[in-house]
Amino acid sequence: MATMLHTPAQREELFIRLYKKAFPAAANYVRKMGGSFDEAKDVFQDALVIYYEKAVTVPTPVNTSDAAYLLGITRHLWLKKNRENNLLQPLDTYECGDKEEHLPSSDKLMYYLETAGQKCMEMLRAFYYDKLPVKDIATLFGYSGERSATVQKYKCLEKVRDTVKQKALTYEDFLE
Amino acid sequence: MRTSLNNIQLTEEYLFGLLPAGDKLLFDANRLLNTELDNNVSAQQQTYILVQQYGRKQLKAEMETVHRQLFTQPRHYSFAQSILRLFR
Repeated sequence: MATMLHTPAQREELFIRLYKKAFPAAANYVRKMGGSFDEAKDVFQDALVIYYEKAVTVPTPVNTSDAAYLLGITRHLWLKKNRENNLLQPLDTYECGDKEEHLPSSDKLMYYLETAGQKCMEMLRAFYYDKLPVKDIATLFGYSGERSATVQKYKCLEKVRDTVKQKALTYEDFLE
Repeated sequence: MRTSLNNIQLTEEYLFGLLPAGDKLLFDANRLLNTELDNNVSAQQQTYILVQQYGRKQLKAEMETVHRQLFTQPRHYSFAQSILRLFR
């Protein structure tokens, strides 16, 4: 599985294939449960993220068909989402704990990294999120070998780490 | 590799639980004694979280492109219709 997922083009191909195979059943399920097209799309895409993260982590593919697996996750996510919504309804004037994860500082930091630090973020993504082999990362990013790609990885980690440290200080001042 | 990069590597092994027990203990002790090191470790840990968030965000953007293609391009027309029909 992971060997097919090295480039954006390969991922695109995979997503088109999975959409065609699994989205009809997933959409049908969400509709039956009273959901809209956009809700079906959101919950299916979340299921695809889980599918992808599993596919790059576990070397052997899941032991059911892709479509059945994705439908299973979609169902689970839909039920979870609606259970949470129901529980939260009487409390909607309350500030709930989740909010802390979306502090403005973290959004700003992400925005900064996406713009000023994009090159490093792309490389770190390939290493830690897409979990590509070093050899392939070297080729993809134009490094002469595994060694220089690895050194570059550590340089990028250092750069982002220092940005995190620096921004944390700045935003603390800003928030207070 | 320069020292600072070796420290990054060591911190990664520490955070990923790859250090042998003795080395881990030593690292923990250094963290307690050295505020600078402790701050660096926390910031590096946050870096991995940010990379994960960044990865998901980019992946979702790629899916959004696929979704748009499937529901606008003529060659996917019959697929798109079969889904949209469900919600009419």
